This record gives sequence, C-alpha cells and structure tokens, in this order.
Amino acid sequence: MTLGQYVGRRLLQMIPVVFGVTVLVFFMIHLVPGDPARTVLGIQATPARVALVRHSWGLDKPLYVQYWKFMGRIAHGNLGDSLFYGVSAGHLVLERLPVTLWLIVLSTILAVAISVPLAAIAAVKADRPTDHVIRAVPLVGLGFPPFFLGIVLLLLFGLHFGRPFPVGGYGNGFFGHLRSMFLPALTVALVLTPILIRSLRASLLEVLESEYVTTARSKGLSEKRVLRKHALRNAVISMVSVLGVNIGFLVGGTLVIEQVFALPGIGQLMINSIFQRDFPVVQAVTLVFAIMVVLVYLFTDIAHALLDPRVRFD
Amino acid sequence: MKARRTLLVLALALVAAAGAAAALASSNGSSKQAATPQHGGSITIARQEDSQSFDKTNVFQNESIWLAEQIMEPLYTVTADGRSEKPWLATSYKLTNGGKTYTFTLRKGVKFSNGQPMTSADVKFSIDDARAQSKGWGYLDAAIKNITTPNPDTVVFNLKYKWAPFLADIALFANGIIPKNFAGQTRKAFYTHPIGTGPFMWDKRVVGQSVTFKKNPNYWQKGKPYLDSVTWTYVSDTNTRELQLRGNQIQVDEFPPFNSIQKLQNTQGVTMTLFPSTRTDYLEMNENYAPLADVHVRRAISYAIDRQGIIKSVLFGHGVAANSFLPPQVPYYYKNSGGLQFNIAQAKAELAKSKYPKGFKVEMQVGTQDEKSIGQIMQNELKPLGIDISFKQLDTATEFTNIQKLNYQLGFSYWTMDIADPDELVAFAIDPKGGGAHSFFTDYNNPKVIDLSHQAEKETVPAKRAALYAQIQKIAAQDAFMGFLFYSPFRYAYSSKLHGFFVYPLGNYHLEDAWLG
Amino acid sequence: MSAISGTQAELLVHDSVVEHRRGFRHRWYRTPSFVAGLTILGIVVLAALAAPLITQHGPNDQDLLHTLQGSSSSHWLGTDDLGRDVWSRLVYGARADLHIAFLAVVLPFIIGTLVGLLAGYYGGLTDTFASFFVNIVVAFPFYVLVIALVFALGSGSRNIYIAITIVGWVSYTRIIRGEVLVAKRKDYMLAAKSGGLSDFRILFRHLLPNVITQSVIYACSDIVLDILAIVTLGYLGLGVQPPTPDWGNMIASGQTYLTTHWQLATFPGIAVVFTALGLALLADGLADLLRPE
Repeated sequence: MTLGQYVGRRLLQMIPVVFGVTVLVFFMIHLVPGDPARTVLGIQATPARVALVRHSWGLDKPLYVQYWKFMGRIAHGNLGDSLFYGVSAGHLVLERLPVTLWLIVLSTILAVAISVPLAAIAAVKADRPTDHVIRAVPLVGLGFPPFFLGIVLLLLFGLHFGRPFPVGGYGNGFFGHLRSMFLPALTVALVLTPILIRSLRASLLEVLESEYVTTARSKGLSEKRVLRKHALRNAVISMVSVLGVNIGFLVGGTLVIEQVFALPGIGQLMINSIFQRDFPVVQAVTLVFAIMVVLVYLFTDIAHALLDPRVRFD
Repeated sequence: MKARRTLLVLALALVAAAGAAAALASSNGSSKQAATPQHGGSITIARQEDSQSFDKTNVFQNESIWLAEQIMEPLYTVTADGRSEKPWLATSYKLTNGGKTYTFTLRKGVKFSNGQPMTSADVKFSIDDARAQSKGWGYLDAAIKNITTPNPDTVVFNLKYKWAPFLADIALFANGIIPKNFAGQTRKAFYTHPIGTGPFMWDKRVVGQSVTFKKNPNYWQKGKPYLDSVTWTYVSDTNTRELQLRGNQIQVDEFPPFNSIQKLQNTQGVTMTLFPSTRTDYLEMNENYAPLADVHVRRAISYAIDRQGIIKSVLFGHGVAANSFLPPQVPYYYKNSGGLQFNIAQAKAELAKSKYPKGFKVEMQVGTQDEKSIGQIMQNELKPLGIDISFKQLDTATEFTNIQKLNYQLGFSYWTMDIADPDELVAFAIDPKGGGAHSFFTDYNNPKVIDLSHQAEKETVPAKRAALYAQIQKIAAQDAFMGFLFYSPFRYAYSSKLHGFFVYPLGNYHLEDAWLG
Repeated sequence: MSAISGTQAELLVHDSVVEHRRGFRHRWYRTPSFVAGLTILGIVVLAALAAPLITQHGPNDQDLLHTLQGSSSSHWLGTDDLGRDVWSRLVYGARADLHIAFLAVVLPFIIGTLVGLLAGYYGGLTDTFASFFVNIVVAFPFYVLVIALVFALGSGSRNIYIAITIVGWVSYTRIIRGEVLVAKRKDYMLAAKSGGLSDFRILFRHLLPNVITQSVIYACSDIVLDILAIVTLGYLGLGVQPPTPDWGNMIASGQTYLTTHWQLATFPGIAVVFTALGLALLADGLADLLRPE
C-alpha cells in the first residue's frame, strides 16, 4: 500500500468516528439537566420569559428535530451561534484554537526536553540510586493536581525569583505568548514527564540489551557512543508513538490548565460552555477536539512508519 | 534496600513540595490616601466571569451590566447609599395628573460619544425599545402607557396607574439612553459596540478574554473621566487573580474569596474594601415538600441556623445575620422585622408544635463551596432535632434550574437589588404570581402579604409605604417562608494607587471618579 | 489535568513489563519494587482500617469556634474551615478514596477485559464493532466525557463510578485485545483449537489466564488515575458528596486557601502522591513477578 492510499483509507475511517462523536455529544449535552435559558435569564427568569428564549433558540422542538437541524447546519459548515455570546460558535472556537495549539506544542517540547536526558541517564544507571531518584521524584508532578501545581509555579516564578513570567494571561506577539505560555506548558510537562521517562527508559533498556548493541559493545565502542548511535535513534521512534498517544491527554489536559492560567483557549471555552449549557459551542469544541485527536494519531502513525523501516503501512 | 532508598527519595520530594507551598503565605503593609485627582493611566479589572453581552435591555448578568453602565447612562441614577435616586441625564422632573404623569427636563449639553447631541427623541426611542423587550427587562417598565416629546429638552411619561417605584425603574440600567434608531445600525450590530453618553466609550473586545473601553472625550461631566482606558479581563481562578494583583498585572480583583480578605488587608500596595451591598442569601424551602409546608417546621429550621457560626467560618466575619428578606441597603427595610435568629430551644419547641415532632428526612441541593460549608453546618445543627439532611451535589446550572422548576426540597439562593426600591424583590418573593416566580420558588402563599404588597406599589406617600413594607416584612419573617441567612458585602481588592473607586450597594461603580496616583 | 489518559497508562504498563531487570525474580519478597509498593500501600490501607484507633476526633466533628487552627497536640495537622480535624479527615479520606477508586476500577476491568477478549479472539465483525466504540471514546477527551457524564447523572460516588466505567473500559479492551492477538499465534492456542475445545473453554480456561496479567498491572495505575479524576471533579465542584471526607474534596476546598492556609490542600496532596507512588511501585513489581519466562 502506498502512503497516499494509506492516508486516504485512514481519513475515510475517520468519518464514522467523528460522526459517532457528534451524535454522542449532541444527545449527551441535551440530556444533561440544567437549562441554558434559565442560566442566561438569571434569577428573575419567569416561565414566560424562559419559554420565549427557548423558542428563539429552537430548544422547544423535539430533540430529533434539533439534531436534524444541527446536522443540516454542519453540512453547510455552520456550527450555529453560541447561546451565551450570541456569536458564531465556529468563529469562537477558531479564534481560541491558536492558544490551545501553543500550549500543546510548547508542553510537548518542554516534556521532551526534560524527559529525554533524564531517561537516558536512568537507563544507563539502571537500578542504581540515580535511577530511583529519576523515576520517583517526577511522580510528585503526577500526584499533585495541576490546579495546585500551577498556582505554586505562578507564585514562585510570577511573583518571586525576579518574576520572569507573567501571572496568567495570553500575552501579546510571539514572544509575549512564549513568555505567558511557559508556566502553563511547564505544568502540563511536569505531569507528562514521569510517564515519558518511564516509557523511554524502558525502551532504551530494551535496546541496550538487544543483540546488536551487545555486538556494538563487543566491537569496542564506548558506552556513550553506543547510547548515542543506537539507542537514541530507537528512542526517537518510541518517543513519537508515546507522544502520539499522549496528544489525547494533552488536548484534554488543557481544560483545567487554561482555567488556572486564565488562557482563553478552547479548553476553557469547553468548561464554560458545559457549565452554561451552551450547546452549539460544546458541540463545536468537541468536534474540533475529536478531529484533532484523530488527525494526530494518523500523523504519528505515518511518522512512525517513515522513521522505522520495519513498520509497513497496513 | 532499594525500597528504603525510594522511600527516602519520596520523603525528600514531599518536603520540597511542602516547602514550595509554604512560600505561599506572605507580606503586610498599609496604604495612604492621596489628595487631588490626576489624569491619565489605565487600569485592568479581573473578574471570575466573562461578560456575556452589552445589550443592557436583555442581559441579566452583573458582569455585563456593570460594564454597559460605563457607556450607557439613565435619566436618574441611584445615590451612593443605594436608597434613592439623583438627577443624571435629566436635571429634574415634575409629577402631575394625580401621580400618573412624569415630566423630565433633560440636562443641557449632553452628547453621545460619537458627538451627536442627546435629545428627547433619543430618550423616547431608548425607553420604548427597552420596554418592548419581552425577553428582557421590559416588565419593569410595564406601568408606562406612552412617552411624548413636546420639545427636544422635555420627555413626558404617561403611566397606566399610580406607580410608586417609577423613578427607581427609570434609574435601571436597561433604561439607559442610546442614540435613536441605534445610530443607524441594526439592533444586534449596535450592541456589539454600543454608543452612549457615559464616561467611557467602546474600544475593543476579545470574547472570552477581555473588554476594553476608552475615555469618552465628549463626556458631559467636564474634566472626567480621569482614566484613559479600563480593561476587564476574565480570570476564573481566585488564586490567580490574587497573584496578578500582587504582581500589579491587574489593578482590581473583583470578589476575592472571604478567606483571603484579612490577608489582603495586610498586603502592601493593596487596598481591600468591603462595600455595603444589597446581597442577601437565603435558604430556600419548597412548600411542595410536605414537612416544609408546615409553618412550625420552617420556623424550627430558621431558628436552628447558627448564622453567627456561618458568618464566622464561611464569611470570615465579614457579614451580618439577616433578619428580613430585604437587605438594610434597600429603602423601607424594617430593622425590627423579627426574622428568626439562632435559638435551639425555640427550634425544639417549634418542631414539637409541628406535625413532625420527631423530625424527618430532607434533601438539600448544594453547588458552590460556600453552600457546601453552610449545608454541612446546618446538617450538624439540625441532626439533634431529628431533621436528617442529605446532600445532592450539583453544578450551578442544574441547581438553578431545579430551584426554578421547584424540583428541590432545600436549596440556596441569593438576591441583589437592581433598583433602589423594594417592589421588584417583594413582588418576586412573596407574590406567587409576581412574575410567575412562585414566591421566590417556594410556593409560599399568604393572601394578606400579597394584598399589602399591592397596596404598597400604589402608595406614593413615603411614610405610609414604609408602614406597609414594615408589616409585610414582619409577617414574612413570622411565616419563615425562607431562611434569611446573611447580608454580605461586595469585596474588592485593588491597587493602593487607585483612588475614587467606589462600588454602590446595587453593585455598579462610577469609574469616571476613579484615578491613579 | 492531573490524571493521565488511559492510553498513556497503557504504555506505562506495557513498558514496565517489557523493561528488563537483572537479578532475582519470581520471589515476591526479593522484588524490591513490589516490596516497596506493598509497604506503602500497606501503610495507607492500615491507616484507613485503623482510622478510629489513630484519630482523636471524628472526621465530621465540627467546631466552629476553632476553625483553621494550626498544628497542635489535639489537632496534629490543625483544623479546616469548619473546625474539623484535618488528620482525621485525611485518614478517613483514605477509606473513602480507596473504596471509590477500587470500585471505579473493578467494573471497567471486567467489561474492558471481556470485550477485549471477545474482539481479539473472534476478530471480524465483532472486532470492527468493538474498535469503532473504542475509537469514539478515545477521540473524546477523557475529562470532557467524564464531566459531561457526571453532569448528566449528577455527582456523587455512584455516578462517578458509572462515568469512569463508561470511559475506562476502553483501555482494558485495548490491552487485552492486543495480548489476545499475540497469544492466538502461540502453540498452546493452536493446540487448543485443533484439539476441538469449545470456544468458551478456550476463552476462559486457556486464553484469559495468559493475557490477564497486563490488565492487572494496568489496574494499579488506573486506581491512581481514578483518584486524580475524583480530585479534578472536586475542583470543578462535582466530587464526592459532603460531608464524606475524601482527598479530592479536601484538595478542592483547600485550593481557595492556598495563599493563606496552604496546608489544607497540601496534606491531602501528599497523601495522593504517596499512594500514587505505592501503586506505581506495585505495578512495577507485579510486572517483574508476573512476566512470563
């Protein structure tokens, strides 16, 4: 199978999955108790006013009719208007997508930068104290919830130690974004690190004990060279697949991080929309989330196949 | 061996984490007041909710209303004590036709931010539009029959009937003045960047992030506003807001949690102010749940609420026990209403008189952290009476919907006044048909109070009105139709460099008076 | 977001199994990670069981006159906003959390293992069908699904199990399915099939015991994920019902006190880290012990 055929087939397979997600999210969010009309109308909401608002949003129609209309709109590339803001839901999501993409990319880079060297050291010093420290300490990042970790980082680097980073916000311009995004990305990275270190260390160990490394060693290559030449190359391959799998987590992980760091990304939009029962926005965000996750899985599979000659498109 | 080492490592990690967290508490100091206002500078106000819309006639969210008020102003506005109205875009009014015709004289030289002068035609257009909004605030203007404009400086309101709260209604933000015909735009387009006579004018908005207004050069109060621009940001995490204020990234932190007040009061460079508010918190008791239909049961529960304990542990002392369903900042609040206070002996006596002397099981719905705390305190206090509270934990939207649909037994709710008149709240709270709200969603129905409230609406002699409201509050307190919990202030922590920042009991603020020094 | 997604934890398990360690094996007391993990977990479980013996106050005993006190001889870790003893709540919280986390693992474990077993064994349409649902759940961010489900079902421990189950089975299915695909090619399976044994017998007598190891190991990490999911739900106001003491609620309600009374959120946070470490070590150890020759 050629690359083109493979991508084509995978994209076709994507359609029913994304469709399934939209069906699921549509019915789930509409079955959730809590009325967006009452949320928007506040305590003074009277039954008459609630009915008027629900009618103007088409919420008084049966669910299947609403779903039909929703699908009809999607077919025209229209995700509907936000009930809360009254502006296009698709526009809201697109406007905020860059913030979340920034967060995901930067967290990935930071997580890799922290994990690779640590995992390499742990693998070389396997079962020695250094190894244990490297494997145990990062677990703190996993155990403390990010809303806690985030605030501690904000306090330490936003208010003290020369205040190198702003306390939350998205910043302006490329470097502004970079500065604002560093702490939130670090928070996500700290949660990812223990997992990455463990996987990488394991795959490095596997390689180090494999036959061809033994051969390389017997040929008199130094341990450093063995590590650099053979092991790390393999580690890159496993890194790609680990990261690919983690993208789902990264995307989901933005929910609370964006809340803590006041980042106007789609994670924050998602949480608020669920709380406000802003149906069109919830649907739009889930759709984008689902497409993103599916595409990233596809990319990592392709990257994996290109990097590792043993893997074939199948 | 390895295990021990791992444990040691773990212990070290934990100590490090604890140390980092310990660094979280710090600093003290105080601020001085400066004297003459200075021009220039910009401030950022961080809030826990994003603004929804600036269509003042249809929006019910405070975080939207308080912003819209910086742009669009009413004819009369609420005074600083929140008890009456003072002239604003109008300079005076005359009451004729047996209290059914109000004639307003408009202020001279008022211009909209686009330079267009304000005339009576704009006023008529604005209020006609506001009262036509059936999905919005139109209902508060229901007494108006029609509006005429004999000349550009005069507006005449003809009422359908005598209506005591009329001036208070005119001061409502929804009745703020905008250019007629939306300055040539569509309604929707206009309210995405509204135009008004206020101290600030529209600058820009990034939905979900920030809203910025800039100084209106045509403002009718000469020399004001002092600030060049004001930005409102959305920062939902309370800790983040506090750290942003301490780092001077923002100048105003709206509603820091009660537990941080004392610390913020002692933080250098921060002014922590508690502004008297009209916020009143209630325990909702649904009379459709049989035990709660029994007045003695409701009285027993009301007696059993340790309001001081709640104020101490939830509000950290920054509140006052409520003794009426009206707050003290509202005209005609009656301080001897006799709202039931904590008294376990009385609670027991009341329960003994009820149909449920041995108590009963009841479900309480809770949402916010504060509600959970209050609920747990009440659970503890009612247990000895045999009233067994179980909790149903919900998100706010569901909680709210359940209350409005009367699909709950015990729940929490609060009210802040929109106008400087008790009528809106009284009708809402004790008249089941008042706006169809089932007496604040309790189904409380006492024909005597309902009748008194209708009399009060038509009574224009203040002393007589006061007597009527006193009676209403007394009966409502005896019926204990809700548990009146506490009155709490509006909490604002702001940079000590910011002066003239004042929040009114209705929650609005006049930013034209604020300046940086 | 604290919890790692299912797929991530799968990798974690996969790698701890693959990871090679020199030295003694197959004797649990000579497997250091296992001993360490067991010790840590043992401490937590013992504390939970002996809760009434090692605390001086009930976990829900309020004392509104002594709220937010520091550490003292009667309150080792101080008191919370309602004057309750933090140490008691921490210890009783272990009961609640271990209980919920354990229950939240059992159902997904059973369902996921079964679906994975069947999908892997029969392949074809069964597999396509199962994979379709797996893919949908995977494309849905974990927390979005859990939050939406908890909203729909209402919060409270029972609904938390249900929500986690609906999301969590996927990981077990993926692990088991993969294992089954490998096992199918092994000699014992080929022999069993050609020997004419019934599908039922092959599935449950021969296949299951050989593939379940991975699921068991994964379950250890899964418990950590569930505890963290409960903590995060607490932050969003949707955790365990009050007044039940649980670490999630303690961290979530202590969170607003981070800048004034940092210890309120930190102690339960340390408890979560401690337990997570124990479970991670246990998973490592199990992987070592159960690894086939």
